[in-house]
Amino acid sequence: MNNVLVYAEHRGGQTRKVTFEMATEARRIADALGGKALALVVGAGSAQLAEQLKNYPLDTIYVNDDADVDKFLLDPVVDYVEAAAKAAGPSLILIPNTLAGRDVAGRLVARLGAGIGADVTDFHIENGVVTCVSPKMGGALITTCALKNADYAIATIRPNAFSVAPSATGAQVQPIEKPAGKTYSAVIESDVDEESSGEMALEEAAVVVAGGRGLGGPEPFDTLLKPLAHALGGAVGASRAAADAGWVSYSLQIGQTGKTVTPSLYVAVGISGAIQHKVGMRASGTIVAINKDGAAPIAEFSDLMVVGDAFSIVPELTKLVESAKKEAVS
Amino acid sequence: MKIVVTVKLVPDPNSEKKIDPNTKRLVRTGVETVLNPYDEYALEAALQLKERAGGDATVTVFTMGPEALKETLRKALAMGADEAVMLADAALEGSDVSATSYAMAQALKKTGFDLLIVGGLTDDGSTGAVPGALAEYLGVPCITNARKAEVTGGALQVERETDSGYQTVRGPLPALLTTALTFGEPRYASLKGIMGAKKKPIAILTLSDLGLDRPVGTDGSKTQLVNFAPPPVRGKGKTIEVADATAGAHAIFDFLKEKKLV
Ligand SMILES: Cc1cc2nc3c(=O)[nH]c(=O)nc-3n(C[C@H](O)[C@H](O)[C@H](O)COP(=O)(O)OP(=O)(O)OC[C@H]3O[C@@H](n4cnc5c(N)ncnc54)[C@H](O)[C@@H]3O)c2cc1C
Ligand SMILES: Nc1ncnc2c1ncn2[C@@H]1O[C@H](COP(=O)(O)O)[C@@H](O)[C@H]1O
Repeated sequence: MNNVLVYAEHRGGQTRKVTFEMATEARRIADALGGKALALVVGAGSAQLAEQLKNYPLDTIYVNDDADVDKFLLDPVVDYVEAAAKAAGPSLILIPNTLAGRDVAGRLVARLGAGIGADVTDFHIENGVVTCVSPKMGGALITTCALKNADYAIATIRPNAFSVAPSATGAQVQPIEKPAGKTYSAVIESDVDEESSGEMALEEAAVVVAGGRGLGGPEPFDTLLKPLAHALGGAVGASRAAADAGWVSYSLQIGQTGKTVTPSLYVAVGISGAIQHKVGMRASGTIVAINKDGAAPIAEFSDLMVVGDAFSIVPELTKLVESAKKEAVS
Repeated sequence: MKIVVTVKLVPDPNSEKKIDPNTKRLVRTGVETVLNPYDEYALEAALQLKERAGGDATVTVFTMGPEALKETLRKALAMGADEAVMLADAALEGSDVSATSYAMAQALKKTGFDLLIVGGLTDDGSTGAVPGALAEYLGVPCITNARKAEVTGGALQVERETDSGYQTVRGPLPALLTTALTFGEPRYASLKGIMGAKKKPIAILTLSDLGLDRPVGTDGSKTQLVNFAPPPVRGKGKTIEVADATAGAHAIFDFLKEKKLV
C-alpha cells in the first residue's frame, strides 16, 4: 500500500471543504510512502469538481458523470471506488467521515478486505507503516491505531482536522469506466436538500453560535442567533433538544448523533451541556456559554460562562460586535 | 417476517470515561454494561415493524460479545424481543471492524432474516462501519439512517436522513436497515415484559458452529491499537454572575477581544 486515493463526495459538483483537506493530506502521505495521490469524482457535476481539484497536488483525478450514481443508494459509488482502487493499485483510501462516507467506507472494508481507521484527525507514517490518530468514546480517549500491511486500507477523515493548501501540480483528469455487470438494489425515489443556500456549512465555520431548548422556540434562532453569528462571521448550530422540537433542521444538530464541529469560537446559548452534546463541540478553540443556570454542566468545560438571560444578553452582544466591526472598517 | 436486530453490549455511556494512569486501560470496574443506546432505537424500530406486520412476525436480538454479559440481553427481551442469539467465543477477542463484521455476518447467515436492523454507531468503538461491512458480507441492500420504514409487498420503503436533508428509498428484502434516532424513542419495558423475559430463550453460538474460512480476533484484524491516552485537559474557565444584560454582553465582548476573536 503506497498510493493514496481520495473519494470526493459532492452533490452536483458542490463539495465540502473536507474534500480539499483530503486532497492536500493525500499528497503528504503519498510522498511519505513513495506513491501517487489520486482522487475519484463520480456522478452529475463531476467535471466541474474535477476542475477545482486540479488546484491540488494530485497525480490523477478519475472522473465519470454516470447518472446512476444519483439514482441508486451508494451501490454505484462503492463499485466505482473499488474500481478506482484496483486501477490505482495498493492504496490507502480517504473518505470523509460523513453519514454517506461511513456507509461507503464500511462496505469497502468487506469488498477490499481492508482495515479501517475511523474519524481520523492525524496520520503518522514511519517505515512505511501508517498510523491513524482518532478521538474515541466521545473524545474521552485519543487512540493511535496502526493499519497492518495489506494491499488496501481505509480511513474516514474528520472534517476540519487537516489543513488545506492548494498547489497545482498538473493533475491528469482521466475518465474511469463504469464497472460492468453490476446490479443496483436500493432506488432513490426522492432527494430533498434542507440546507439553506447562502449559509455557511456548520463543520467549516470558524465561529459557531448554537442554541438549545433554552431558546424556547424556532423564532429566536432567526432573530437572536443568526444576527450574532453573522456579526461574528459564523454559522448557527443547535442541540438535539432544539432539533427534536422541530425548531431547526437536523442538519444543524451538533453532538454525538449530529455533527462534530471544531470552530475557533463556540457560543452555546441556552444549552445545558449534556455529554452527547459536549462530544460534538469539546474540541472547539474557545467556548463561551450563556445560561440562566450557573450550575449547568456546560460551565465545567466553558472558558467563559455568563449566568444570565439569553434574550437580553445576545442582542446587546451582537450590537457590540457589530460596532467593533464598523470601527475596524472605518 | 423474521426481523433480527444487532445489539452491542457496552459500558454505560453516561459514566465519565477514565483511564487508569498505570495500566493505560479504560476503567471498566464499577461501570454497568448496557445495550448500546443506538441499538435501543434499532430495537424500537424492529418492534414497531413487527406490530405493524402482525401475523407470524418475530424479533430476534443478536449480539457478539463475552458470554458473561449474557444477562444484559434480558433488557431487550423485556422490551419485547422474542428471543436472543449470542455469538460468544474467546477467539473473537480483539476483533476489529473487519473481523467483527465478518464473524457477525457468518452467524447472521445461520440465524437467517428477512430484515436485519443495525444501530447507526456504537458508543464505545464508534466507527459506524459495521453496517456497511455486514451488508456486503451478507450480500443484501444497505439502507441507512431511516427515520421511517415500511414493509410493503416484499419491499422496504424508507425515509432516511442524509448529510443535507432526507431521501426516500426503496429496496427489496432481505435487506439491512440502520435507524436514525428520529425513528422513535425506545419504549420502556413493562413489568409484564420484565417477568416474561426471564423465560425467553438466549441461544449461544461459538465459532465451531460457523466454520469460518479466515481468522478473526487479534490475528484476523487488519488494524492494531498502538496507544491510547486522554485528550489534553480542558480546564474549567470562569463562571460569572452579571448584574444585568449590559454587563453580561460587555463581559463576553471583553473576553472575545482579549482572545482576539473579535
Ligand atoms: C443516544 C443519544 C444521543 C444524543 N445525541 C445528542 C446530540 O448529538 N446532540 C445533542 O445536543 N444532544 C444529544 N442527545 C440529547 C442530550 O442528552 C440532551 O438531552 C440535549 O443535548 C439537551 O439539549 P439542551 O441543552 O438544548 O436542553 P436542556 O438540557 O433542556 O438545556 C436547556 C438549557 O437552557 C437554559 N436556559 C433556559 N432558558 C434560558 C434563557 N432564557 N437564557 C439562557 N439560558 C436558558 C437552561 O438553564 C438549560 O441549561 C442525545 C441523547 C441520547 C440518549
Ligand atoms: N459486537 C457487536 N454485537 C452486536 N452488534 C454490533 C457489534 N458491533 C457492532 N454492532 C452493530 O453495528 C452498529 C455500528 O457499530 P460500529 O460500526 O462499531 O459503530 C452498532 O450500532 C450495532 O448495532
